[in-house]
Amino acid sequence: MADPLPEIDRDLIGREFDRTVSKPVSAERMIRYARACGETNPRYLEDGPNLVATPTFPITVRRERFVPEGIPMEVMYRGMDAGKDVEIGVVVRPGDVLTGVGSLHDIYDKTGRSGKLRFVVLRMVVTNQRDEMVAVIDQRMMFR
Amino acid sequence: MILDLHAHSNASDDSRAPIEGYLKWLQKKREVVPVDGIVLTEHRQWSSEVDYRDLEDRYDTLILRGAEVETDYGHILLYGVTDEMARRFDFTDVHLRAQEVVTEVDRMGGIATPCHPGRPSIGLCEHYESKPALEGVRAVEALNGGSRRGENERVRGVMDEYGYKGFGGSDAHLVSLIGICATDFAADICDIDGLVRELRDGSYRAVDFRERVRAARG
Repeated sequence: MADPLPEIDRDLIGREFDRTVSKPVSAERMIRYARACGETNPRYLEDGPNLVATPTFPITVRRERFVPEGIPMEVMYRGMDAGKDVEIGVVVRPGDVLTGVGSLHDIYDKTGRSGKLRFVVLRMVVTNQRDEMVAVIDQRMMFR
Repeated sequence: MILDLHAHSNASDDSRAPIEGYLKWLQKKREVVPVDGIVLTEHRQWSSEVDYRDLEDRYDTLILRGAEVETDYGHILLYGVTDEMARRFDFTDVHLRAQEVVTEVDRMGGIATPCHPGRPSIGLCEHYESKPALEGVRAVEALNGGSRRGENERVRGVMDEYGYKGFGGSDAHLVSLIGICATDFAADICDIDGLVRELRDGSYRAVDFRERVRAARG
């Protein structure tokens, strides 16, 4: 019987497929995000020299491409969001220019109560204008 | 001596529990969960490079390592894993042949024990309904802390029919679940060889602390 799970070229693993440079981050956007998260700490909410973004702010960086060119979007539409791991680096301050570099990080299979599952991990490494690591975001997609 | 024989740290893709988190929790909850040691059985992987002796000393808790692999008869816990075993089998392969795993791991000095046998699809019981029984299985995980209602109860029949011994493990993926099910060994165990020896020929029983944990939560 044919494998019903999507076949994805493993040669794509590790290859950069997107590099998106954001506009400078505004204090207003950082504060709006912090409010949406329910933050009450003034360091995330009060504009001024001490303002920094909340640690999860880098997940707001959007890539221009979501998946590598070799993977049709129809394939990804079959997947479910299986969560994110975020490694947090240096803090984000107003005026920072964030660059998100996307790559296919891993493909692996596992078996669960409902049968065989395939996971695709899309990684985005976010850096600032000083090339410091701001975050490494691993987005898992699950197929069954 | 009580050991939790089945736990996943954040080295597994589906766990967020740091090993030190487990140890701190056990240190704090020892009256409720009187576990002397844990066995880390990460999914589909093995590395001989890690060393937890410093953590063992700091928290006075034995830390042993095994692996959980996936086969055509469901998931199997391996104890006494060696680099030779990891070369013989691709642990990332979710279609390993269970009979080969049981036979070869035993030959190489370890022990392969089906875990959560009562679970659909990835448990031994369901596979025994349509396939011949595996040869050489000595013990199964009779009590699994992550099983749903009815899944642990289903294991009893297979144990009785094939004479398997039964042990327990929490299958913890979260810090607060470590030790909720475990195994009480008659003998003291201080290393992985001792664990393999006891699982093969020793005296032990599965122990369930879930009610105590619930009661302690209030």
